[in-house]
Amino acid sequence: MGVVKVKKQSRLKIVAASAILLGGMAFLVVAMTRSTSMRHFTPAALVAEASSVDDQLVQVDGLIAEDSSEWDAANFKLTFAVRDRETEATVNVIYEDRLKPDNFKDGGSVFVEGRYYADQNLVVATKLMTKCASKYEGAESAVPTDETSYTSE
Amino acid sequence: MTAEIGQAAIYLSVLSCLWAIGFLSFGLWIRNARAIQSGRNAVVATFVLISVATGALIYGFVTDDFSMRYVVEVSSAAQPVLYKIAALWGAMSGSLLFWLWLLTVGGVIVVWQNYQRNKQTQDTLADYSLIPIAIVQLFFTILVTGLIDGIYNPLARFPNGQVAADGQGMNPLLQTPLMAIHPPTLYIGWISLTIPFAFAVGALASGRIGSGWILRSRRWMLFSWIILTIGITLGGNWAYQELGWGGYWAWDPVENASFMPWLLGTAYLHSVMIQEKRNMLKLWNILLITLAFQFTLLGTFITRSGIISSVHAFGGSGIGGYFLSFILASTAGVIGLIIYRWNRLKSANRLESLLSRESAFLLNNWLLVGLTLIILWGTLWPIISEAINGEKSSVPEAFFNRVVIIPGILLLFLTGAGPIISWKKITLNNFRRMFVFPFIIGLSGGALTWGFLALVGYTFPLFSVLCSFAAVFVLAAIFAEFYRGAKLRAKRQETSFVNGLNLLIQRNKRRYGGYIIHIGIVILYIGIMGSKGYFQSESKSLTLGDSMEVGKYKLTMIDAFDKEHVNYRRMGVVFDVEKNGKRMGTMEPARHAYYAKPDEQPTYESAIRHFGVNDLYIGLGDLPLDIKTGGLVTVQWFYNPLIGVVWIGVAVMVLGGIVAIAEKSERSRDS
Repeated sequence: MGVVKVKKQSRLKIVAASAILLGGMAFLVVAMTRSTSMRHFTPAALVAEASSVDDQLVQVDGLIAEDSSEWDAANFKLTFAVRDRETEATVNVIYEDRLKPDNFKDGGSVFVEGRYYADQNLVVATKLMTKCASKYEGAESAVPTDETSYTSE
Repeated sequence: MTAEIGQAAIYLSVLSCLWAIGFLSFGLWIRNARAIQSGRNAVVATFVLISVATGALIYGFVTDDFSMRYVVEVSSAAQPVLYKIAALWGAMSGSLLFWLWLLTVGGVIVVWQNYQRNKQTQDTLADYSLIPIAIVQLFFTILVTGLIDGIYNPLARFPNGQVAADGQGMNPLLQTPLMAIHPPTLYIGWISLTIPFAFAVGALASGRIGSGWILRSRRWMLFSWIILTIGITLGGNWAYQELGWGGYWAWDPVENASFMPWLLGTAYLHSVMIQEKRNMLKLWNILLITLAFQFTLLGTFITRSGIISSVHAFGGSGIGGYFLSFILASTAGVIGLIIYRWNRLKSANRLESLLSRESAFLLNNWLLVGLTLIILWGTLWPIISEAINGEKSSVPEAFFNRVVIIPGILLLFLTGAGPIISWKKITLNNFRRMFVFPFIIGLSGGALTWGFLALVGYTFPLFSVLCSFAAVFVLAAIFAEFYRGAKLRAKRQETSFVNGLNLLIQRNKRRYGGYIIHIGIVILYIGIMGSKGYFQSESKSLTLGDSMEVGKYKLTMIDAFDKEHVNYRRMGVVFDVEKNGKRMGTMEPARHAYYAKPDEQPTYESAIRHFGVNDLYIGLGDLPLDIKTGGLVTVQWFYNPLIGVVWIGVAVMVLGGIVAIAEKSERSRDS
């Protein structure tokens, strides 16, 4: 089969169509990233920057503060404080209308996703993930399997 | 003793891999048949050695050898035999060994197929391909020797002759039949991607970049595709049954890691047809298969390195660096070969029109690769955002759901448009004959969906209407293709329509198998639309005797139970299900507490009832000790419409894949 020459005009069309498609996809991705991206904080960092992240979606990674959690089964409301791994800083968390996650224990690792309200130092969580402390620190079983990242939601 | 034999076998296989690489390269270079044969033999030797190592590990599991570190980590004496064997892939060291073993099986199959083939022809393509296969094997062999940081030999014993009293047992979440087969299925899918990649590298190295390597790698790719489809779905099904959040897909990094190679493989299965038909896209195909292979490694990198999961506060391991290095080195190797063969990679033809089958295929490829990159972007956003402004951020599930929907619906439309648009350039005649009917049917499908959803209270469900339009359009287009073809066959052979249909498929399995896959895709989309777009959920606190209303259903908590099983304790409650006052049986959501894991909370064992293709799903929270005396039980119910359609869609896709792979001929019969 010989080389088929493409008319200039149709080539231009192809380039234009590809550019529109690419541009559209890129725009969509950037716009969605901007509107949904959540900054990741330790409790200490969140408390330090509280005013600048008021009313924004955040992720907080820390430990469940000892004796802070309260599970109100009748109203389906879990309240607790997430403590910084290094400092004493804590952030309050409310998690409502969902089952209490697996492995929710004092001192356990917890990962919270939700909206932060600076005046009450409170995250209204939409997602909680937990991991039990012994597993997290244990050198023996520190190797995660594929599925540990699913542990709970 | 067996563990030591296994370890020795792993060390020896480092040599056999090197032997294979050396002798094949040397033999192909100086065209020495004996050296090539020796290289092939070394590939077989690697298989034998790694089989010995894998066998030794399984022996350790079955005999409860708790002097072995890996056995202690993932097995325990009380674990049922099935899960003792499944423990092989229960954690990292073992899964790498298992991965390697599967890869050696692939190597032996290539050697065998080549042996069969070389009875007729003297073709060295497969011998070239064995070199990259042996290189990948070498990489994994080195990982499991335990000589590098961050990962230990799965056959290693504890130092100083220590023996544990019992094993820690496998993660209870994984002790389900689904989990016993889900990881190996995915592994097989991933690993078999190595082989078409190896053929591409072989083609580049040998300089024969025509359609020969495509024909030989295509069926391997189709095989990977089928297996990956099954594997990903099993994972979703497992999550649905075990994790208690009522869904099957959450754009978790691990899920994304399995989905991205699938998307690239799908793109490749389409773009190779363009190379066969029109001798275009040679370079693109090589890049696609390289990407697909690299993404299987990248998936391991993402999920094992701790880079992404560190956001989720899970421990990482040092393995990521090795994977990243291997990805970079092997990509550099392929790029080097591409530059070396640059002038042979030019296309003989160019696109002639925007409205042609070539363009449709190209658009399909752009969208699939684009989706892959979008998902990669979202998955790696924690790293990217940190690099951009020093602030670590993540995107939630909603990012993915929103961003994939438009490319997803466009792809669905192409599923119908691609097969019916003419090659080179659409003609008015082609448009009238093929498009008008499905288009009209599709529009009415969209309108009906709109009407129905408006009736139940959704005023402007734009994406559902678009999705239904595209879905019905595709079904009409494909059924029309089947109908026209079968009628023509029936007329020519003077037989019945059904026989004609059968003949049609038999004569061109690949093409019509592909169409069956497309029908499966449509069904899958409908299921996703219903279950992702219209699920309902509510949390409730109940005491014994209480009822809750779930749509048309009334659920009454009538009893609680607590039973002892071999390696776990099952606690739960019994719901009596009524629909419009009629008893429909019971549902028993439960929690399992595994004896080997006393510190961990019981796992969710949600109750799922199928009503046609809709599911009622009940997850159970912590159980109070005083259930029988009025303690509050927390439950969360989900009503998942059309979720059964998801599994049906995947089953049809797999069926279509099996039809397509059954075409033995390496000649192309596509018209």
